[in-house]
Amino acid sequence: MEHGTWNIDLLQLAWRNLWRNRRRTLITLAAISLSVMLVQAFHNLSFGVYARMIDSGVRAGAGHLAVYRGDYVQSRDEKLAYDPQELVARISQTPGVEAVLPRLYLPGLAQSSRESRGIVLTGVDPAAERGINPFLKNLPPEKMLRDAAGRDAVVGARLLRELKIEEGSKFVVTVQNRDGELVNELFRVRGVVETGIKELDASLILVGRERAASMGGVPGEVHELAVILRRAADEAAVFPAVETLVQGRPELHAVGWEKAMPNLANSIKLDYASQKFIFVVILLIVTIGVVNTLLMSVMERLREFGVILALGATPGRLRRMVLAEALVLGVAAIFIGSLLGSLATWYLVEVGIDLRAFVPETLEFGGVVFEPVLRAAWDVAWMARIAVYVVGLALLASLYPAVKAGRTRPAEAMRHV
Amino acid sequence: MDLRRCRPARLAALMLALTLFAAPAAALDLRQLIRGVEDQYIGLSSHARMRMEVSTENWQRSLTMEAWSVGRDHFLVRILEPPKERGVATLKVVQEVWNYLPKVDRVIKVPPSMMGGAWMGSHITNNDLVKAAHVDEDYDFALLEETDTYWRIEGLPRPEAAVVWGKIVYQVRKADRVPLQVDYFDEKMVKVRDIRFEDVRKVGDRSIPLRMTVQPLDKPRERTLLQYEKIEFDLPLEKDFFSLRNLKSR
Amino acid sequence: MLLTLALRNIWRNKRRSLLTISAMVVSSSLLILALGVFSGMLRDMLASATEQYHGHIVVARQGYQDDREMFANFAPDPDLLQRLGRQPEVVGLSPRLRGFGLVSHGSSTYPAELLGIRPQAERGVTTLAGHLVAGKFLAAEPGDGAVLGRGLAKKLGVAVGDELVFVTQAADGSFGNDLLTVSGICATGDSGHDNSLLRVGLPWLQRVMVLDGRVHELAIAIREPMQAAAVAGQLQRQLPAGMEALDWGQLLPEMREVIASFDVSRMIIVVILYFAAGLGILNTFFMSVLERTGEFGIMMAMGMRPWRVRLLVMLETLAMGLLSLVLGLGLGLAMSLYMAHHGIDLSGSITPVTYAGGTILPRLGAVLEIDNFVIPAALLLAVCLLAGFLPANRAAKLRPVEAIREE
Repeated sequence: MEHGTWNIDLLQLAWRNLWRNRRRTLITLAAISLSVMLVQAFHNLSFGVYARMIDSGVRAGAGHLAVYRGDYVQSRDEKLAYDPQELVARISQTPGVEAVLPRLYLPGLAQSSRESRGIVLTGVDPAAERGINPFLKNLPPEKMLRDAAGRDAVVGARLLRELKIEEGSKFVVTVQNRDGELVNELFRVRGVVETGIKELDASLILVGRERAASMGGVPGEVHELAVILRRAADEAAVFPAVETLVQGRPELHAVGWEKAMPNLANSIKLDYASQKFIFVVILLIVTIGVVNTLLMSVMERLREFGVILALGATPGRLRRMVLAEALVLGVAAIFIGSLLGSLATWYLVEVGIDLRAFVPETLEFGGVVFEPVLRAAWDVAWMARIAVYVVGLALLASLYPAVKAGRTRPAEAMRHV
Repeated sequence: MDLRRCRPARLAALMLALTLFAAPAAALDLRQLIRGVEDQYIGLSSHARMRMEVSTENWQRSLTMEAWSVGRDHFLVRILEPPKERGVATLKVVQEVWNYLPKVDRVIKVPPSMMGGAWMGSHITNNDLVKAAHVDEDYDFALLEETDTYWRIEGLPRPEAAVVWGKIVYQVRKADRVPLQVDYFDEKMVKVRDIRFEDVRKVGDRSIPLRMTVQPLDKPRERTLLQYEKIEFDLPLEKDFFSLRNLKSR
Repeated sequence: MLLTLALRNIWRNKRRSLLTISAMVVSSSLLILALGVFSGMLRDMLASATEQYHGHIVVARQGYQDDREMFANFAPDPDLLQRLGRQPEVVGLSPRLRGFGLVSHGSSTYPAELLGIRPQAERGVTTLAGHLVAGKFLAAEPGDGAVLGRGLAKKLGVAVGDELVFVTQAADGSFGNDLLTVSGICATGDSGHDNSLLRVGLPWLQRVMVLDGRVHELAIAIREPMQAAAVAGQLQRQLPAGMEALDWGQLLPEMREVIASFDVSRMIIVVILYFAAGLGILNTFFMSVLERTGEFGIMMAMGMRPWRVRLLVMLETLAMGLLSLVLGLGLGLAMSLYMAHHGIDLSGSITPVTYAGGTILPRLGAVLEIDNFVIPAALLLAVCLLAGFLPANRAAKLRPVEAIREE
């Protein structure tokens, strides 16, 4: 029934209308695009910080995904060790996998000639662990375990102090082997790590995996295969591949990092939930701004609308005109906003926010030490999504003003101021 | 003596010992000597009654205990006095330690992380109970000094032996091969503790010191004194005597 | 007279005024809500870190908190307890004794930490009683009851009513040991505590550890947790030599760091929020005055002095700003109250999170803090006055003819 449909003319008209009140348009445009910029930049910042936390968390912890036997994740029952057989090699060959770290954890006792402390003996593959585990980042190469079967140990700093020993000292570790017998072995402090996490610093002892496994009476076995991926996003593809690889052994199963390290996953989720809440508040405020602008511009043009209607235009055309103005405003705003957001993100990626002025260097969050410089990462898909939301919101905000415009009665409107 | 009950290693050691004794011209075998020192209270089996006096910064304790052992790996001790602790008992079989608590009538196994704890509040740890008997296997010995009356023997841990000490020095009386003192050093060769032996008596055909004092050197005012009031050796004790059931009963 | 004119002007253009007011109301109330939610998160974090275990301030022998040495105990002098309890900031005071040892049930034995408490006093300091998942908190009269974490209960395989054995080295060197009866099982969400902590009656633990009349620490709750450092300083002056009062910042240095970093990110977000709210308000007020340039021109043409035009606009803006602030504060208060009481429960998708020694339950709540109302109100009022003044000032500077000619 209405022949004037959406077309370029309408958009051109909307563009011209918007520019008739340049000041108002610019202010609204500024408000929306600044909000878009803030939301995008802040999201990217969190995205970057979370990504780093996850990265350092999985590298120190259970990997992006890990293979366990039974319910080892919950029970931490040392009996649930298993022989990985050819799994390490085969998972390593899966595309997207950076490394597979076999690990063995044995609770026990460390003794020096003066003190003794409860500890967790962690058996690792030194070569594989070296390049991945962030705890070892600051450890000079000559302080690293030399091989998987030796008597070198990398010890937490607090534990070292409590045992009253130093680098190069020997100490004895006692663990219970598979048959319940106590096994004692001599180790020598090769390197010392300070992770910043109190419990770890007081209980961490990294040793070669073969040595640990023979102590535990489980030669060749592991408790955990931590799979480190090249990119966190590959998890979706690698996870099923790993599941297929362990299919033949029903006692084994693959666990994603969110399950293996629920604390880390949940701290991020909680933090992000509060952020989403803030984003919603910001977008609501933006929407109110758009409604206001459009409504005001409609109100003050009632007289003009009256004239247009009197000249034979349909109310539908008026409605579409207002919608078109909102669309143009929204698109212009997301264009400018995304540009600014990209600039801000670029700055945050390159330079970041240095927290060192506010906090000491080690900071724990959800059990993971996190770095004092916050850096953003690009989440283009999310930026696009927020842009679409904003255009949608602008259109939504223009519905009422559009309806209002469509209801204009020519005679009444022309009497208006 | 029932040789069938001996493990092959022990049998071999026994054979070796017999060979050595059979050759009087042979040089002093330090390892054999130390083994004798370490096993002086053990014999093939033993039964003893002893008093333990512990002084620490925080408590003074005096306990009377009854103990049984067979070889190095089986050991049961039960408190007789004071009345409050009567019946508390410790069982050690090879590498494991259990405690029996009569008040709650429960047996509790000491987990590995608690092996470093003090045994009965003394300067002896649960681990000492478990490990003490392996000195002659974990160390290489050298004669430091020989006088008319004693030998001083240095024990240096073998490179891979699971021991916390840097070295141990024994002073052993020549006449009856009874230890006078044992010094324990850390890796920097700083003396950490010593054990002095006194009150040497003849029990059956062997001489043993009936008093032993453990002295941690970083706490000069602390010590644990163990006085044997009665000890007898080579009784007809079987290994199955050292059972959880026996830990609880009596 | 000018005020009447201003009010009439507001009334005359109802629609525009309503729009402007609504923008301000929505922005300010949302801002207040968001600030309240942030304060709520901070409070939850702090509360979880302090109120599940430590308390806000802990008084103990010097050095005790570092190594938890059993012999660093003291007899709480009744005089001292009274003096501390009389401090106006102190709202709860709980004497505690701590023991490490083994708990055992059937054939399972695990290392554990026992905290001997007086149930009534402890309730005034920690919120553990609120985390029970089974059974009851310790009874007020001394007994052999124990409240333990869910993880430990599961490992030991015990349920409410079951017996436990506790073994420790007592202060006289003997085997301290006795039976406990499980009275309650709690889940704080902190896996460390849930897997190793038991709360038992203070007299029971004193007897088992042979530490009659002794305690290791006095846990104290205060009115304003954020003031803990200052209050700890005051308490310190009341203490005999060799004792120290540590606030949560010293007990949990990680927590202080977390709060510092949280403050940084909160600052960023708050700036963003103020920006968004301020821009929105600036936008509407600016616009509503700007479009009346012609009207002001006519007024000036009729003889109104430019300063009176400015004053008129400021009065109008002020009146609208105040009105909308009252409404905005009211709405913000209502929403914050709702969030404070109900909150948004996220436990469907998130389990509790351990955070620098504390545990946050997965809930977005809010707290009411006076600063979260006063500061936004003052700032937003300033923004809207500025937004009114700029265009009015501009109009007042124009010659009437020019002003009228503007669209």
